[in-house]
Amino acid sequence: MHARHTTVPAAVLLAVLVLLLTTAAAEETAVSTEGGIEVSRYDGSAWFEFGGRVAIDGAFYAEDEVALGDGTELRRASFEAEGGVAPEWEFEFGCDFADGTADVKDAALCYTGLAATRIVIGQQKTPFSIEELTSAKNITFLERALVNELVPRRRIGVAASHQADTWTASLGVFGEAFDDDADDEGNEGWSTVGRATFAPIRDDDLAVHFGAHASMENPDSEREVKFNARPESHVTDIKYLDTGKIKRVEEILTWGAEGAAVFGPFSVQGEYISCSVTQAPEEEERTFSGWYAYASWFVTGESRDYDKDGTFGSVKPLGRLGALELAARYSTLNLSDGEIEGGEETNITVALNWYPNSHVRFMMNYVIVDNDDCADADGDVDGDDDPGIFQLRCQVAF
Amino acid sequence: MTAARHFTCALVLAALVLLCPGESRSLDSDVATRAGTSSGGSGRSLVIGKVSDNPKKHYSYLRPMADYVAARMGDLGITEAGVLMAPSNDVMVRYLKEGRVDWVTETPFSSIIFREEAGAELLLCKWKKGVSRYRTVFFTRNDSDIHSIEDLRGRTIAFEDPGSSSAYFIPASELIEAGLKLVPLDSPRDRPPTDAVGYIFTHEEINSSIWVHRGIADAAAFNNLDWSKEGHMPGPLREELRIFHESASFPRALELVRGDLEPEIRERLREILLGAHEDPDAATALEAYQRTTRFNEIDAHVQTELREVDRLLHLVQSELGK
Repeated sequence: MHARHTTVPAAVLLAVLVLLLTTAAAEETAVSTEGGIEVSRYDGSAWFEFGGRVAIDGAFYAEDEVALGDGTELRRASFEAEGGVAPEWEFEFGCDFADGTADVKDAALCYTGLAATRIVIGQQKTPFSIEELTSAKNITFLERALVNELVPRRRIGVAASHQADTWTASLGVFGEAFDDDADDEGNEGWSTVGRATFAPIRDDDLAVHFGAHASMENPDSEREVKFNARPESHVTDIKYLDTGKIKRVEEILTWGAEGAAVFGPFSVQGEYISCSVTQAPEEEERTFSGWYAYASWFVTGESRDYDKDGTFGSVKPLGRLGALELAARYSTLNLSDGEIEGGEETNITVALNWYPNSHVRFMMNYVIVDNDDCADADGDVDGDDDPGIFQLRCQVAF
Repeated sequence: MTAARHFTCALVLAALVLLCPGESRSLDSDVATRAGTSSGGSGRSLVIGKVSDNPKKHYSYLRPMADYVAARMGDLGITEAGVLMAPSNDVMVRYLKEGRVDWVTETPFSSIIFREEAGAELLLCKWKKGVSRYRTVFFTRNDSDIHSIEDLRGRTIAFEDPGSSSAYFIPASELIEAGLKLVPLDSPRDRPPTDAVGYIFTHEEINSSIWVHRGIADAAAFNNLDWSKEGHMPGPLREELRIFHESASFPRALELVRGDLEPEIRERLREILLGAHEDPDAATALEAYQRTTRFNEIDAHVQTELREVDRLLHLVQSELGK
């Protein structure tokens, strides 16, 4: 097992090295780097990009009753590769090694021969939620908001996405993630997920964005589902919010709305997500929901980079000392409904981010956590625990 | 029931793919192939080219327009479109001479180089990013004591790239015509002789803006459209910089063909491009083609301007080398 952990990244690096040695020497290729590497043929027939990221976290908990465990964590340590193997045929592959095993992220084949429509087959993010679809290296806070627990994660499937000047539309049909097979030989769960966005204003430092997303999911043969969430900190393993296993699940319908706006150095973003779980035999419906809203201000004048695909990209500092960002978020999630008492939690976060350049970021968050009586990690800890969290991150993306 | 609903979603997905706005390259290629076959001759590719330091990005600019045009030349034996970019003007000159590139889209100074050194023929003016003309602006910090190009003596100026019309050839020629001596610098920290202007390349417009803002270079020059573009000149930086000199205006961009391209293909290309802005099927290709809004003929006024470009090109090359 240990050998597998070390040989996988080594094999990736070796493959990259071989590719570079064989392509960089050819006069038909252009090679450039900003830490990662990009190689592309001048006839456009093939290209390759290799990069990655490392994120190191430290968290200190102002504990209430429950021990959360101060500590450090390698939050992300991943390689990412994408390329075009022939005109109109591309691939994506990413793998994270932060927890000591190879956690495959994107692994997909893409067809781009339909003008502004892109077809992706393989493991990928489902088209749901601006916060989820924005790369973790570009989100404003250390962790996504609590309500992200309701978002369908990466899955294997086929999706089509179309980008126009002011709108996007995506729809996909998915099975489960590569490591998410049912224990027995039963059928996988499957889902249909779609998202539409509209950006009536989109300029370099100005954007207004609206979006909606929905997912209809049928669970695997075990017909069980469970929602649980840490406070907005990943160093601790305590997940106050926990529904426990919800059994006899027939269908899961999740939907949401999102909005964002950028006005020069100021920006706001928010989402509401609701998830209804239908249980047999009486077709009882349990509904969980949450939302968040936040505001950000670049003291040094930069703007968040709104992309045409309805997500946010990386920030490019203007000044010699880099970019400085202040942000605050209100976030809440309710996992209680009827007999299911998963708890309700609210987090209020203030953030300070420093971007010395467009590849490096230092982040500092202070989170005020407010749990209700039912937020007890499915009975493992006391409810109504209200800690504070001070956490830091050092991140490099290349 | 549930399976039926998912199946319905899958059908919607398929419909989205097949009915989405925009043209399918494959469909266009099919048109070209069918037309080529019907002509009975052995078909070939129509190859478009451009000098590029980012082939991956520029391929997406060129390919839709190449497909659009090639699909309308099937009766001339063109069965498909091709793209071949070059890392420098010298390599593009070689490609044109060897017949590996049929059609090039470029800015005025590179176009004149291709005409002189490769025998290329200027075909049309291109309204790149919606404009037919542009000019170079020279800028410095608000608190700088530079107020004219003569004040650059003993200072450093940042150009973008040695192949750039607006961010190298035009500003360099303005300085030379003003009687200033230009000397290349290895590093922005190097200082030029007191009687000369030191120049250095930044390779990206945003770098030119930042270098001047941070005082790494005393001044920089690029085109007036970049001055207004947030990605190249962010607002907070623009507020702390000022323009102290502007050049005359020049044609924004040109389309060229290799000199020995078959006349019927050259004329069909001219017809297709001249009518593209009136063809709804060309909208996607024009948008990708650096947001081009139309093409027009090279009239007498543009010819006069291009003779001036020719003169300035020789001036820069004689002073600074190729």
